[in-house]
Amino acid sequence: MNFKRLSSILAIIIALLLIVGCSSQTPETPATEVPNETPSEANAESQEFDPNADFDTLVEQAKGSTVTFYGWGGDEDRNRWLNETVAPILKEKYDISLDVVGMNIDEILAKLSGEKQAGLEEGSIDIIWINGENFYSTKENDLLFGPFTDKLPNTKKYIDVNDKEVLYDFGYPIENYEAPYGKAQMVFINDSGVTDETPKNTDELLEYAKKYEGKVTYPALPDFTGSAFVRTLIYDIVGYEQFMDMQPDKAVVKEAIEPALEYLRELNKYLWNQGKTFPATSGEVDNMFQDGELVMTMSYEPYSVAKGIEKGIYNNSVRTFLFDKGTVGNTNYMAIAKNAPNKAGSMVAINEIISAEVQASQFEELRTLPVVSYDKLSSEEKARFDRVDLGQGVLPQDELLSKRLPEMPANLVPIIEEIWAEEVVGK
Amino acid sequence: MSMKDTNSNIPLKLFLYLIAFTILAPLVILVLWTFTSRWPWPNLFPTSFSLRALEEVFAPYANLLPTLVSSILLSLTVALLSAIVGTMTARALVFYDFFGKGLIKLLTMAPNIVPGTVFAMGIHVVFIRMSLADTLVGVIIVHLIYTLPYSINIMRDLTSSIGQQMELQAYVLGASPLKSFIYITLPLLAPGVLASMNMAYITSFSQYFLTLLIGGGKIRTLSTLMVPFIAKGDRSIGSAYALIFVLSTLTIFIVMDRVIKRLSFRNKEENL
Repeated sequence: MNFKRLSSILAIIIALLLIVGCSSQTPETPATEVPNETPSEANAESQEFDPNADFDTLVEQAKGSTVTFYGWGGDEDRNRWLNETVAPILKEKYDISLDVVGMNIDEILAKLSGEKQAGLEEGSIDIIWINGENFYSTKENDLLFGPFTDKLPNTKKYIDVNDKEVLYDFGYPIENYEAPYGKAQMVFINDSGVTDETPKNTDELLEYAKKYEGKVTYPALPDFTGSAFVRTLIYDIVGYEQFMDMQPDKAVVKEAIEPALEYLRELNKYLWNQGKTFPATSGEVDNMFQDGELVMTMSYEPYSVAKGIEKGIYNNSVRTFLFDKGTVGNTNYMAIAKNAPNKAGSMVAINEIISAEVQASQFEELRTLPVVSYDKLSSEEKARFDRVDLGQGVLPQDELLSKRLPEMPANLVPIIEEIWAEEVVGK
Repeated sequence: MSMKDTNSNIPLKLFLYLIAFTILAPLVILVLWTFTSRWPWPNLFPTSFSLRALEEVFAPYANLLPTLVSSILLSLTVALLSAIVGTMTARALVFYDFFGKGLIKLLTMAPNIVPGTVFAMGIHVVFIRMSLADTLVGVIIVHLIYTLPYSINIMRDLTSSIGQQMELQAYVLGASPLKSFIYITLPLLAPGVLASMNMAYITSFSQYFLTLLIGGGKIRTLSTLMVPFIAKGDRSIGSAYALIFVLSTLTIFIVMDRVIKRLSFRNKEENL
């Protein structure tokens, strides 16, 4: 009897939970006061928080607090650097604990938009590692806090605020909503022990693919690296200037890149699996290169070869090369969530990460191109950057920067990815 | 009887070996890749080995051991709750008639019919409003929603095949419902409870997106540590995590098996 009643009630509860789960419009009381794991003093702080306050006030407010740093967790070197270099610096200098959380940007965006939809005023994400299309969509959807970078002392001290990459992220105005974190650039990679050539332009790349038929390919778009690789080829064929103010209209874009589409279709004939299919991720392409199934790979991390050789993943004869006209480069950034529980702490932490000291350690340990302006550095700081041993098989920073092409506006990227899927794959 | 047939039947034996091979060979490759730094074609074996993957996985900043322990405890809790709710729901669905029974039967399958991402985004908003997002309780509940279809269905079939006759017999002999459940029904259901706990455990243990979204990064499990490396294509670190995943799950399964068998056996003895 008891069991009967209990079991039926439970069955109904389960059913209700399922119904609730499937409809997002359940009229629950909007939770304005959300009991969070954040200590109550953090709540008090965020109420007093004033972004225009003196930086010393922010430092004072941030003392003893925790800052969460959300970003991709698949780079063991960066995880180590954040936890073992950046976190101790923040703890020692400002008594801030850095909590590094590995989460893909897609999930971060899903979390933020869910929180916005539910009206959650204090979330759990403070700093977000972000750029490009994702910055565009979060800023457009009012998910970011700002402007704030103009209030950081180290912006004035170390950053060239007239630099295009500080003003625009994939052509989209930053307006002080994100601070630069590191610079990346597309590079090509092959093994001098396997192939002598290092193609200097798209024509040479085609010859190269013909010679090593079936041993060249690139990641299927919209993979981040594959997409940047195709943009680099497009730039080599039709130039980059016209894209900077192009209308995000499919017909316009398609007409502009038509010669490049023709090239890509011609290239297909000599690619792995005749370009009927492409590996899904850049990791897969890289694995195929390591296994000798491909003769060439590419990376958005300009110093990945040096790291690969040190880890024993690549042969010592693996090297980096670029096109003569250059390759696309971008900066990645740190933004603060609009509902961040600890904005003062985030600003202090970001200010520290764009300092010469932290940027130099990032360059030393991760070999990520620094975002500080070299001209603004003191002579000791300059010396520290100059001393960095970049490792084997890579190109010096000035060569990379001299062949760096700007990313096209963020809203053109998905259009090109769409056109590629329709006009290139299997054609 | 059937064992003897199997032994004398050569094609069947070969087939069994083939199955065993297809299960074990990938495990061997996982072990190899954990220690491999380069393994180019056409070499049969890796050309160079390194401890890089293990060093990275066990590095202090990766927090593997605390994460693994909390991950196991989380999934065990989910498995236990899932088995309890599953057993009760199954009884309700098999033995009793009530309003909306057909609908509830259908709804027990709903989480597996709705695409995962859609489900996760919807329930995330609901959980934020209920203050369950970014909490352990929230993650346990959302895992339960995913494991319950398995538990309920496993238990439902078993419950209906065992029937109520034995229990009624106990009632006739004067046993209370609680006693008859503990001494008669539960031992009979033990294999199903074990199977549903195993299923629930593995479902919970391998949840990535749901754990990340509902746990908000605050609830970290082995899957949330492991998946980024697999997605990135780092075969050595991916294999090392996968090996830890397999070994820890296997250990838990063996322990669960022992505990449940012992419990039901002891009950039977006492009953005799």
